[in-house]
Amino acid sequence: MNLSDSKKKLALAGVLCGLVAAGLAYFGNPANMAFCIACFIRDTAGALGMHQAEAVMYARPEIIGLVLGAFLISAITKEYRSTAGSAPMVRFLLGMIIMIGSLVFLGCPLRMVIRMSAGDLNAWVALIGFILGVATGVLALKKGFSLGRAYVTNTVSGAVLPIITVGILILLTATNLLKASASGPGSMHAPVIASLIGGLLFGALAQKSRMCFAGGVRDVILMKNFDLLTVVGSLFIVMLIYNMATGGFTLGFDTPGVIAHSEHLWNILGMYAVGFAAVLAGGCPLRQLILAGQGSSDSAVTVLGMFVGAALCHNLGLASSGTSMNPETKELVAGAVTTNGKIALVICIIACFVIAFTSKRKAA
Amino acid sequence: MRKKELKLVVAFHTTADAMAMEKACKEKSVPGRLIPVPRSVSAGCGLAWCAALEERGQIVELMQNAGIEEEALHECMI
Repeated sequence: MNLSDSKKKLALAGVLCGLVAAGLAYFGNPANMAFCIACFIRDTAGALGMHQAEAVMYARPEIIGLVLGAFLISAITKEYRSTAGSAPMVRFLLGMIIMIGSLVFLGCPLRMVIRMSAGDLNAWVALIGFILGVATGVLALKKGFSLGRAYVTNTVSGAVLPIITVGILILLTATNLLKASASGPGSMHAPVIASLIGGLLFGALAQKSRMCFAGGVRDVILMKNFDLLTVVGSLFIVMLIYNMATGGFTLGFDTPGVIAHSEHLWNILGMYAVGFAAVLAGGCPLRQLILAGQGSSDSAVTVLGMFVGAALCHNLGLASSGTSMNPETKELVAGAVTTNGKIALVICIIACFVIAFTSKRKAA
Repeated sequence: MRKKELKLVVAFHTTADAMAMEKACKEKSVPGRLIPVPRSVSAGCGLAWCAALEERGQIVELMQNAGIEEEALHECMI
C-alpha cells in the first residue's frame, strides 16, 4: 500500500502511529512518554551498562521494533539499499548533539509533540526552539551545506544495526544479562510483545510515510510543502484525544509526573540544537532509526552517536531533572537543567554552527 | 485541487545538489521548482527538481555546465 501518494493516506499513517503510541501508554509505558526515541535509546544504553542511572535502564523493544520494522518492510518492498560514506564521524557527532539537546529538554521531537498533546506548555515553548533550529539548518542548506553523498556498499553493511537489535532482543528475552530499573521511568513499560509489535508497526509505517519531525518543518520552511507535517499533525490529534479521554491532559507548566522542567531558555535551546543538528544529519531521531533500518550505515552511525550521547548525559550529569512532587511533604520540587548540561549544550550549538558553515558542497 | 500532470523529476545525491540546481535555474531563468523527492522514486527524504517534460534538454545542459550530478531523471505524475 502506498501511504504517501495523498495527504489523506499520510494522515492515516500518522493516525495509526498515534494509536500505537496511545496503545503503548495504555499498556504501561509512561503516559507522557508513550514513544520517545531519545528516552528509549537512553534507557537501552542503560540496560547495556553504558551509564549507571538506575532509574532509566531498560532495553526498549520499541527501538528494536522500529529498526526491524523499517528493515523488514524495506526488504519486502525492495527498498532496502545498503549505503555508506557520507561523513560518518560528523554524523556520529550530530547524533551525540541530538541526544544531549534532547536530554536537556527531556524528550525527542516525537515526545515534544506527545507532551504538547498532554497540555505541557513547556513543550510548546520548546517548539519555538525546534522551529528556529530547523530554520537555521535550512539557512545552512541554502548556503551550500553538505556532508557529501553516500555510496552503495556491501549489502551486509546496512544490515549490521538490524542484526545488533536482534541480538539485544535475544539478550532481553532469553537472558538476565541486561540491566533493568526497579523503579523510575525505566521500570514503567508495556509488555515486551506489545512493545515489540508496536515498534514494528510504527517502524513500517514511518518507513512508508517517511515520517520525520525535522523534515516536516524543513519542507514547510523551504518549499511550503505540508506533506510530512500532515503525518505529525494527525499523530498529535490522536494523542490529544487519547489524553483528553483518559484524563491525561493537564494544561500548565508545573506538571509533576510529566518528566519535564520549566527552564524556558534551556527548553528552547535544547530543542534548537536538536532541530539544527537533525536538519544537518538529514532527519530527526526517529528518522535516523528508520533510515538505518532501510540500509543507511550513515544513519546507523548517527544512532551510535545518540547511544554514546545518552551515556555521556548520565555519566557526566548533563541530563536535566523533571519537576516532581515530594511524596512526604507534598511540595512541588522544580525540575532543573544542570550547569554541566548548560555548558555542554552551548558547546553543541557552537559545534552545529561550525559543521553547518564549514561543510560545503563540491561541484561534480 | 491542482490536477496532476506528467513532469520531469530530477533526483540528486544530496540536498545541497538540489539547492545548487535551484540557484542555477534561477540564474538562467529555467522554469521549475524544488519538491520533496516523490515517494514513488525514493524512500529517502531529500529534494528533487520538478520541471515540464519539454525542459529536459535545457536542464541536462544546465546541469553539465554547472557541475551538478543527478542521481536519476524520472517522469512522474506530480
